[in-house]
Amino acid sequence: MRIDDRRAISREYFSRERLAEHHFRSFNAFLDRGMQEVVDEKATIETDIGDKEGEEPVYVELGDVRVVTPRVREADGSEELLYPQEARLRNITYAAPVFMEMRIIKGGEEEEEHVVDQTETKIGRMPIMVGSNKCNISGFTENELIDIGEDPADPGGYFCVNGSERVLMTSEDLAPNKILAEYDTKYGDEIQVAKTFSQRRGYRALVLCERTRNGILEVSFPSVSGSINFVTLVRALGLESDEEIVHRVSDDPEIVKFMLENLEAAEVQTTEEAIETLGKRVASGQGKNYQLKRANYVIDRYLLPHLHEDGVDEEEVRINKAYYLCRMAEACFELALGRRESDDKDHYANKRLKVSGDLMKDLFRTALNKLARDVKYQLERANMRNRQLSVSTVVRSDVLTERLEHPIATGNWVGGRSGVSQLVDRTDYMGVLSHLRRLRSPLSRSQPHFEARDLHATQWGRICPSETPEGPNCGLVKNFAQAMELSQNIEDEQELKHELASMGVSGIPGIESIEQTPADD
Amino acid sequence: MATSTQSCPECDGRLREGESETVCGECGLVVAEETIDHGPEWRSFADDETEKERTGAPLTRSRHDRGLTTEIGRSTRLKGRKRRRFARLRRQHNRSRIKSKAERNRVYAFGEIRRLVSALDLTDHVRDQSCILFESAQSEDLLRGRSIEGFTAAVVYATCRTTSVSRTLDEVVEAARASESELTAAYDALNRDLGLPTGPIDPAEYLPRFASRLDLPQAVERRADTLVDAARERGLISGRDPSGVAAGCLYLAARELECDLTQAQAAETAGVTPVTLRSTYQDLQE
Repeated sequence: MRIDDRRAISREYFSRERLAEHHFRSFNAFLDRGMQEVVDEKATIETDIGDKEGEEPVYVELGDVRVVTPRVREADGSEELLYPQEARLRNITYAAPVFMEMRIIKGGEEEEEHVVDQTETKIGRMPIMVGSNKCNISGFTENELIDIGEDPADPGGYFCVNGSERVLMTSEDLAPNKILAEYDTKYGDEIQVAKTFSQRRGYRALVLCERTRNGILEVSFPSVSGSINFVTLVRALGLESDEEIVHRVSDDPEIVKFMLENLEAAEVQTTEEAIETLGKRVASGQGKNYQLKRANYVIDRYLLPHLHEDGVDEEEVRINKAYYLCRMAEACFELALGRRESDDKDHYANKRLKVSGDLMKDLFRTALNKLARDVKYQLERANMRNRQLSVSTVVRSDVLTERLEHPIATGNWVGGRSGVSQLVDRTDYMGVLSHLRRLRSPLSRSQPHFEARDLHATQWGRICPSETPEGPNCGLVKNFAQAMELSQNIEDEQELKHELASMGVSGIPGIESIEQTPADD
Repeated sequence: MATSTQSCPECDGRLREGESETVCGECGLVVAEETIDHGPEWRSFADDETEKERTGAPLTRSRHDRGLTTEIGRSTRLKGRKRRRFARLRRQHNRSRIKSKAERNRVYAFGEIRRLVSALDLTDHVRDQSCILFESAQSEDLLRGRSIEGFTAAVVYATCRTTSVSRTLDEVVEAARASESELTAAYDALNRDLGLPTGPIDPAEYLPRFASRLDLPQAVERRADTLVDAARERGLISGRDPSGVAAGCLYLAARELECDLTQAQAAETAGVTPVTLRSTYQDLQE
């Protein structure tokens, strides 16, 4: 490529839209879909009204959520459009009102369910990224920008809270829902472990499958202390016969040998027995019925939550969980036999970036939960004092606003992470550009982590090989390469699965695979 | 060094208060030393000009305990007997937080005031003032036989009026859990027994809100403001509903500046009838 061609490409990459584009795309996706997804996950707010005798139960149904563009509410009560420059100068927050459809529904016990009140009400204010789709300056020409006091060269991509510009630091996390096989040591012996960070709707659970020194597989997951025998768990999930378990793990003769050892040492033979054994572990000393209930709850709730999906029945999910555990077992054995290397955590294929939209989604989820708790409290209070229940008098809009603004203003994110939002580096123009394209590894900077700090071959073309700070943060804070493209998660997983099924992938849960006729037919 | 009002016991000279001691300015006698500094030790590294907080939230009048709540937290490290003990302690602590019926009422009322203030988009200052007003109403024993909801709505309405950010009764009632009669009963009691420093509402206070709700340009709002002034000079304001006057002035201003606005729209926003609006409008035109 000729040098001036390269220069032309570089110039394109450094044009206004491209520099903070990952921030815009991520935040716009959050505004367009993410917020509604979070609301749909929540769906209803249950109350304790109706626990008393002769009282009808009440709950709230959450509907469509809508964000307008940033506005400022003056003390005299008037509301006006807000531009970023005004927010900066007046030390106010560049935030847009959020509205949500809510219905209070009463009944279900004696009388029929009926809607008491239904309105779209303001639930709070969402800080808006400067330059995003909901920003008041989006689509402005250069002269219009100058007229409202905005710098046309400003890349945007940050928030404006209490007048200070805050950028959300992209963070680099280990990819969720992937099996990672690696070596570990336990009591001085080397063991093989397959790990999965299973993630669904903000809930994250680490599932471990270990092959101990005597060759027995054990699984551990949240809510169960210690570990559970692999065969017991798989049987509890409905994979019962010896043959099927072995077949699902592998057809490799050596692995089959390992599996037979495991099956011989098995504590239980049937699904019922397995669930009983599990029940003794999760609720020891409780009644038999409660133990069974608890065991079923635990495997449906805490074990591999990412395999749950809307429109797939529990039965099928359970068997899929069993299959997934078999894959983890296979990874353990393969590692033990030296058929594969341990997975490289620093490989960029095993990394995912959390950009501003993902971070805002986490924040909005907890803020909405807080709001829901407040609505519940207000409803119960209003009901106790025999007041008319209405949507507008039970929603306190400052609850959500406070929960959204405070983390951005201080950088103390949900889940105990700190330093997530930083003051935009305005030392010079290049400083801003570099700051918007920076990413941070959540690893502690006080520990050595030599491998994590090293330049990895897979960072080629993605991460700048030379721009990293000196000192404790060296190699943990990185910067995007100039021509890096950040791909986004797909909007609709169902659509992708249908596409895969039509191409001949069979066994996808919830989708009837299409019968493929052999080519020679 | 500040000079104190007291004088030196030896020579009657002026005393000077320093960092840690009080010294006579004339003879150098140390009158007091190692005094306790009751002031806050400002310690904010971020921007100490605007945020002068050391740690924790500042004291606020909008909480029954001034925001100095102590909570017994939870820990996953506690197990068994100790955990149960802390659960009991927490429960007892929560019970002992509220001492009397009056305090319980205050907790509920302050929560309600906070909700109202957030629903009406008012400032924190209004919130604090409302809470103070509620407390004084409570100490004057005005609440007996009247509803707390009515009183919370009334104190917010009253504070808005005294701090010149008036809201109409309708606006407050809409956000409140009280009916209009409850509100007026409470407001009358407040006004009678506490002597609120409220005068007649200036219609100009309503203008910006109505104008933004009607989506009128700034020019119309400014013109309406001068019209209100003109009406005041001609004595058209006294004895009239201020929201009616505000709506009338806005309507006239919109007409003069050829802006689309019907009488019905303006009247509806202000919560008055078009007849009320017209009376101001016609008088102003003369």
